[in-house]
Amino acid sequence: MSDAPGLRPLGRPRVVTVHTDEHGEPTHVRLPGKPARTVETVCEQWRIDDEWWRQPISREYRVVILDDGRNVTLYHDLLEGNWYVQRG
Amino acid sequence: MSESHPRLQRVPTHHGAGWASADQPTGWASGPGAGSAFLSASPRVSSGSRQALCLWLPTFELRLELIRSPELDSTSIALLSPGESTRRTTWQVSERAHEAGVRPGQLVSQAVSLCPSLTLLEPDPAHYDAAVNSMLELLSEITPVLEPAGRGRVFLGMDGLGRLFGSPERQAKRALRSLFRIFPAPLVAATRAGMSPGKFGAWVAAASARSGEPVIVGESGLTPFLARCPVSSLPVDPLIVQRLERLGVHTLGELRRFPEPSLISQFGDEGRSTLAWATGRRIDPVRPWHRPEPIRVSLDFPNPVGATETLHGALDRLIERALSRPTRRGRSVTGVRLGAQLEGGGSWFVETVLREPTAQRERIASPLRAKMTISPPPKAVDTLIVELTQFGAPGTQTGLFDRREENGRAAGGRELARGEVPPSLRDAVKELKLRLGHSPLYRVVEVDPWSRIPERRHALLSFDP
Repeated sequence: MSDAPGLRPLGRPRVVTVHTDEHGEPTHVRLPGKPARTVETVCEQWRIDDEWWRQPISREYRVVILDDGRNVTLYHDLLEGNWYVQRG
Repeated sequence: MSESHPRLQRVPTHHGAGWASADQPTGWASGPGAGSAFLSASPRVSSGSRQALCLWLPTFELRLELIRSPELDSTSIALLSPGESTRRTTWQVSERAHEAGVRPGQLVSQAVSLCPSLTLLEPDPAHYDAAVNSMLELLSEITPVLEPAGRGRVFLGMDGLGRLFGSPERQAKRALRSLFRIFPAPLVAATRAGMSPGKFGAWVAAASARSGEPVIVGESGLTPFLARCPVSSLPVDPLIVQRLERLGVHTLGELRRFPEPSLISQFGDEGRSTLAWATGRRIDPVRPWHRPEPIRVSLDFPNPVGATETLHGALDRLIERALSRPTRRGRSVTGVRLGAQLEGGGSWFVETVLREPTAQRERIASPLRAKMTISPPPKAVDTLIVELTQFGAPGTQTGLFDRREENGRAAGGRELARGEVPPSLRDAVKELKLRLGHSPLYRVVEVDPWSRIPERRHALLSFDP
């Protein structure tokens, strides 16, 4: 899709720094260009496993609320191990 | 504290004494703050300066002309009314011309027949305004609370200046003396000064003062001072003054004897104000005058221009230039002034207050063109000047989508969904492409709206109709 001329995907994921606890749950998030924030609550959680037939995708999504009140959608790429932030 | 008895003939309604002007009978001159000097203020002192000093330079414009051309001092001269093209009348006349029977407001033909040696002068508003501006700048060194009321009259708020300049007499004399720095002695000598609580008292005091001898009226002396003043000094409709005089009421003291309900039944709300002024109950403070820095652009013609079409074209270009000045900082325009330096000397101007704040050339130019048609420059124009004088909130932005209604509901943007591009949007893209080299607008398109992977659902497509 992104190869088509003049077409830009909306909601591209961006890498973020996430600290996790011993269970792999995010405790602190540093969004690009912002100071680190504590995760107050994890509101929602789901998993996507798709496209196993070409380039497999395996993500674990969490909607978290940070200590400044911000609502952020994060996912953990289970294949790469990186954390990303993504707009819905 | 000194108090002088008001000499009735000194009040500027009596044209028989001294030099005369065709301003309104009460002498409320034209210019910034004119007409509203008293009427706009509320009876309650809420802000501004209660203690007012009025400096009044009678027939200011004519005196400025004499300073510019001293050789005219020994002749009979009359200044022509500004803003008239067909039936020219006299505006201000010198003492000699007055003795010959010339009066302000007379037709030029009448004036010349009465005084064949009369010298007629074309008014030069730009010159007069420059003099007023330098006077205000100078007086702002004495007090920051300045309120001009016409070209030859200014009120100074004097609250709290006692410790700086001394007694009220000293304060008034200090203000008068400072005028020597910009005006020659004859003009300063003709300046009258009056000080009192409130502008009305200060104005009446100045009108009754001798040149160079300020009249100071204190709090306790205001009521008896006003009692001796003529009813013609009231800033009300001249018809009310005429009716009062016909009824045998000549002074404010005599007016005070009437009960308020009687005055209200005769003159309406103005009757109430009249009594409030006459008794000194109404104290109008001097309010600081806010004057934004005007944006001024001008165009010098290689040859003097009289053709209306050429002037209209130049006006359009000048407004465009003025609007593009960075100092406008996105503000809209509410007041604009068009002026000209005329061939052979003299100046001309018209000004307008716009109905709605705007930053569109045509909306600004249109009322100026209309005014120019009614009152065209009396001579060919050497230099055309546009001044944006008053500003409003930042200009309203037009929407990208034309706002339309279908069956009472807003339908803006629907045509875009149907593949049609509204003209406003097309024009906006064209302008942006000219400025940036590419269209920075995108259109959101659905790619795979039901995808589980968020970045696959929608995409931005470059919008370039």
